[in-house]
Amino acid sequence: MKNLTAWAIIGATLTFLIGPFIIIIFAGASAGEALAFPPDGLSLRWYLKVFTIESFRQSFVLSMGLAVFGTLAALLLGVPAAYALNRYDLPGAETIRTIVASPIIVPGIIVGLALLRYLVIPLNFTVTMALFLAHTALVLPYAVRVVSSSLNNLRSDMEEAAVLLGCSRVQAFTKVVLPNIRGGVLAAFILGFVTSFNQVPVSLFLSGPGVRTLPIDMLAYMEITYDPSVAALSALLAFMSLAIVFVAERLLGFSRYV
Amino acid sequence: MFSSTREGLALALPAAIFALLLFIVPVGILLSEAFQSDTGWTLQGYVDFFAKPLNQTVFLRTLKLGVLVAGTAAVIGYAAAFSISNLSPVARGRVFGLIILPLMISPVARTYAWIVILGRTGIVNDAIIGLGLSETPIRLLFTETAVFLGLLQLFMPLMIISLLSAMENIPRDVIPAARVLGASWFQVFFKVILPLTKEGLVVGGTLVFTGALTAYITPAILGGSKVLMLETLLYQRVNVANDFVSASVIAMILIVMSFAANLLLKRIATARK
Repeated sequence: MKNLTAWAIIGATLTFLIGPFIIIIFAGASAGEALAFPPDGLSLRWYLKVFTIESFRQSFVLSMGLAVFGTLAALLLGVPAAYALNRYDLPGAETIRTIVASPIIVPGIIVGLALLRYLVIPLNFTVTMALFLAHTALVLPYAVRVVSSSLNNLRSDMEEAAVLLGCSRVQAFTKVVLPNIRGGVLAAFILGFVTSFNQVPVSLFLSGPGVRTLPIDMLAYMEITYDPSVAALSALLAFMSLAIVFVAERLLGFSRYV
Repeated sequence: MFSSTREGLALALPAAIFALLLFIVPVGILLSEAFQSDTGWTLQGYVDFFAKPLNQTVFLRTLKLGVLVAGTAAVIGYAAAFSISNLSPVARGRVFGLIILPLMISPVARTYAWIVILGRTGIVNDAIIGLGLSETPIRLLFTETAVFLGLLQLFMPLMIISLLSAMENIPRDVIPAARVLGASWFQVFFKVILPLTKEGLVVGGTLVFTGALTAYITPAILGGSKVLMLETLLYQRVNVANDFVSASVIAMILIVMSFAANLLLKRIATARK
């Protein structure tokens, strides 16, 4: 009896959380012209149409590039920072930690507006460049946090032993530390990728002619057209995210790091 | 622990300088903008902002929806997290996976689903007309209810995750012991579960409240210009009117509200001790 109540609560919660997503999958598979659920017959026409829409293709490439390179840049900055914060006794470590974590605290829309006003307009940065920098800043806190927690689990005497045995400090890092925190770095990459790819508010003000991230492009499209293609695209993107997370979970137990 | 401070700083500073230049400085300038006038420092931007009835409405609505969403998420979150924590380890892992799954899906996709559910020809209106409750479709989209549902669905996983990890700290036998000793479920919750999980509630509450305050997509899609929230108002002020003073004021309000929520929840949590 108690079990039944528990499962009823869990079932209701999951229906609320996941049900809408299942509706999207079917609404995108409609054979009709208008967005509806249940759909007017089933077909894959909207799922196929998505690939023929030029602006979606362009913005997909931009979002993909931002997510990959922005996250890589964030790791390039974040991994050494996390290492230093974990292994060195730094003056002002707390301040550095707060500064690096700050992009999480401030609403994205403000970041985007601030970068547009003070970077793009006065300093002549291109919008793409500003987007890249903004996405890097946005992912940085996640990179530092996830890599830090992974470093915490690695005993520091291993590197000290490596140095005593004749490794240089750099070799100790690349040969001993890096292989051991590989999982954490990969987890940080995936988390950063998904965060960046799905990000809307930061990119809201940072778009120009032909430069739009995919979620922004979808928002713009649904304001004009009311057909099921956005539903189909939403479902496809969701499957992409899920596939990435699923593979990551299988390979390295991703959820340990989140 | 290595001792060379210079080496450590060389590793840590690039990230800090990057965040400082790209983040703290531009946002700081933006926030200071509302305090500047031709004659010096001023609070006029704030006075003007709050003098407009529309802005007051939007401010109060944002606050109200944030509190409602966080409160509802806490109530449902406790029921869900408690049920999940009593499952077998395997089932718990699977359900946990399903709870965090939505977090990986684009908020645009998750919010778009509500158009299909609440639209004029959506499921709910089909049901209402089918049951003969109304002749014509009822307007469900572009209402506060729609925004509330969208936000709740978007942020509830964060509350459940926070509460679940807090519940791991409840010793196994404490609840049965309280029951055997005659406590009602009501007492068990307020005297045992709540005090032991309040840190999770603080984290979850802050995440959900802040998330709801600063969400853009949900109020934009489900509220439109009929149900403006602070974020959508900010976007509108900048895009329609080039009004950067209002933008700066709203930015400050959002940041202050997020911090205030966190401090207040922490205060409440420690006061209960």
